[in-house]
Amino acid sequence: MTSIARVAVLPVLLLLTALVPFAGNDFYIALGLSILLNAVLATAWGLFAGPTKYISLATAAFFGVGAYTVGLFYERVPMIALYPLAALIGAVLAVFVGLTTLRIQGMYFTIFTFGLAELIRQLMTWYQRSVTGSVGVYIITDITARQIYWSLTALLALTLFGGWLLARSRYGLALLMIGEDELAARHSGVRTTAVKVVVLALTSAIMAVTGAIVAPRWTYLDPNIAFNPTLSFMPAVIALLGGMQRFWGPLVGAVPLVFLFDQLNARFPTTYTFILGVLFMMIVFAIPDGILGLLPKLQQLRRAAPAPAAPPASLSAPLEPSTPVRGASPSVDGMSSPTRSPSPDGSVLLEVQGLRKAFGGIVAVDDLSFTIREGEVFGIIGPNGSGKTTVLNLISGVYEPDRGKILFLGRSLAHKAPEEIARAGIARTFQLVRIYPALTCLDHVVPAALFGGHVRSLGEARVYARELLEELGMGQFIHVPAGQLNFIDQKRLELARALALRPKLLLLDEWLAGLNPSEMLIGMELIESLRGRGTTIVLIEHLMQAVRRLCDRCIVMSFGQKIAEGTPEEVLAHPEVVRVYLGETDDA
Amino acid sequence: MASLLDALVTGIVYGGIYALLALGLTLQYGVARILNLAYGDFLIAAAVFATLLYQRYQLSPLISLVVLLPASFVVHLLVYHLVFVQLERRRGSWRAMEASSILLAFGLSFVVSGAMLAIFGGQLFSYSYLLVPIQLFGSVVPANRLLALILALAFGAFAYLLLVRTRIGTAIRAIAVDPDGAPLAGIDVRRWAGFTFAFGGLICAATGVLISMFQTFNVPMGVTFTLKALVVVIMGGVGNAVGALFAGLILGVTESFVARFISPGLTLAAVYGLFVLAVLTMRTGIFGRALR
Repeated sequence: MTSIARVAVLPVLLLLTALVPFAGNDFYIALGLSILLNAVLATAWGLFAGPTKYISLATAAFFGVGAYTVGLFYERVPMIALYPLAALIGAVLAVFVGLTTLRIQGMYFTIFTFGLAELIRQLMTWYQRSVTGSVGVYIITDITARQIYWSLTALLALTLFGGWLLARSRYGLALLMIGEDELAARHSGVRTTAVKVVVLALTSAIMAVTGAIVAPRWTYLDPNIAFNPTLSFMPAVIALLGGMQRFWGPLVGAVPLVFLFDQLNARFPTTYTFILGVLFMMIVFAIPDGILGLLPKLQQLRRAAPAPAAPPASLSAPLEPSTPVRGASPSVDGMSSPTRSPSPDGSVLLEVQGLRKAFGGIVAVDDLSFTIREGEVFGIIGPNGSGKTTVLNLISGVYEPDRGKILFLGRSLAHKAPEEIARAGIARTFQLVRIYPALTCLDHVVPAALFGGHVRSLGEARVYARELLEELGMGQFIHVPAGQLNFIDQKRLELARALALRPKLLLLDEWLAGLNPSEMLIGMELIESLRGRGTTIVLIEHLMQAVRRLCDRCIVMSFGQKIAEGTPEEVLAHPEVVRVYLGETDDA
Repeated sequence: MASLLDALVTGIVYGGIYALLALGLTLQYGVARILNLAYGDFLIAAAVFATLLYQRYQLSPLISLVVLLPASFVVHLLVYHLVFVQLERRRGSWRAMEASSILLAFGLSFVVSGAMLAIFGGQLFSYSYLLVPIQLFGSVVPANRLLALILALAFGAFAYLLLVRTRIGTAIRAIAVDPDGAPLAGIDVRRWAGFTFAFGGLICAATGVLISMFQTFNVPMGVTFTLKALVVVIMGGVGNAVGALFAGLILGVTESFVARFISPGLTLAAVYGLFVLAVLTMRTGIFGRALR
């Protein structure tokens, strides 16, 4: 389906949906309401969980909060003001949940949301018992089922439109990166926690508004209705059945499942929950990518052609060669100001003083000091386990040092998160490549350009990323998922991602390791060309050949300490270095 | 003063039970790497069976333990191999598996609680067993609670010794520390992870039976028990048995004080309060997600 047809289908579908109350009787309206309600909740749920893979089990909590906003205030506040109020309360609750748990690994978020609906249900029960004296409220309004139906249709349209916008924005891309590899996303300059919290708050607000819209339908509302655990369950089943990462997924899932559950609930009211659970488990098992995920596979079978595996939610759909924004399309040359020349006596860029980091009893970095000047290539060498990568992780903000200072352009990097350091102009690659296998090469580079802060719009970022990739000899891979690249190209892609931040300082962690000899030559030439352009580089390397050829100066580490410093020739001739690498010699 | 003491003693009894509750879950999560959201529902199932055996056949819960613990072990072993191992076979990466396994466990919790709801509905269960008052530090404790506490500590001690003093325990701890490295030491990870998951299920059933001895419960309460177990695990540190004991006591005493001096309706809020504290004071290690 072309994107124009796609854009046209939705309004038509929504319009048809909106017409149902005119044609149908009460039964159709009730069924339609149920479908719409679940479709909205599932879409909102999928917007966050789909790309990030953070599973929220608290839909009922946000929905119930919205419903109770109406239940408690509808007599005093006009209905029209209650929807934004519900949205606000839902969002505030989500921000609280997010700030508590989204800074750390996903499991805590899931656990926190798992009991949230039950917590709020009990709090509400307690509040009503101790304040109003009775549990439950009557909601008597003149809002009809049709009005609720139309409100939900409008909300669904709004949610879908919002999701469509989100997916096309830089934040959509950021969410995908978070789902694939959060740390790598942070090193691309993405403020992951902020992005997660904001999107969670927006989707939770939608859930709360859904609750507020539906509340009058019940006339009597008590905590068991509003915070019914099935409400947390259904959106997940629906989104999963339809295909979590797909725009149409929740809609496709909602229609058959609501029909099915409606029938099940009527015929087997007692075993309903049980059947629901079994069905859910079967869906998780059998169709992890949902119904829509099956379509490409079916097409492949039919055509029996090696159709390229479509990346699940790539955002850089084939971009027509748009008019290049020349002024804002920096080439690799633009990474550093052209006035800078590779001179080892440039001004100080990075200063490390008395750095120390211990893990339990093991001191990985011990009282380490060095200075890196603008334009130089600075090597850090040493045997395995001497603390090289730890130094890099300390500079790039993965770890906090126990002691010591790291000054970048004279400013301290203490307590700075990886994304802040990336934005400040320090980019890195990883010893073991950290790419997002499902995302295209373009999607790796675009966010770094965007979140690095030197490109304004998504279009500009695409042009920039395309040129950068071409410059690195990866022009033919622009729309290829990174998982399909070979090793050197994955490494090149990581380099492109790092360069897209337009770093003042580039940290390469054994970037040449694992390459075969011919790849190695290409790699060294690449680094040399960067050096020729005046990029300051910190090189962690085992290959002495590369160190000799590339580095202006280097330090040698052993057991966390600096044992030598100087030009590669000086350092490699140093007796202590020889001893560390080759062991004691008899005549030493 | 007397009520303070009562609250403290009640808190300690519950705390011991919560420690055992968390021990089973921390084994399942720390070793088999499965966040078993159906834990509380399995616990309720054991409690229901113990109640029925007592009410219909006058079977003492101590004897029920002998039947229910092996049964729970077998059920959990089957669940592990037929559900979670199969899932892992179908998914390539652990990352893809992680999200699916949470959803699967969530579904499982609906299956277990749904089956019980279909049979028993939301009715309350309780039976009076050993309802004899015992004087303890100037406070009166029913004998059933005291027995439950003693048994909980005994089970906990047994599990702890199993982990620390036996070859099996060493293998299990090796898997907890490094599931990728353990096979290099000749440990059959699949087998012992399954064993640990089932052993966690056995402890889960034991906790359920002990709780049934003194507390009224119903099927929908499973969620709360899962949550409490999770909070204790997080407070104590994943895979940390001693941590679970202390965290369990903290939770039990906090809950008891909130229930006694503030409102019984706010106990879950207290649990969440502890959860938030634990999470906020946790070191935020960025590699936490990758390394666990």
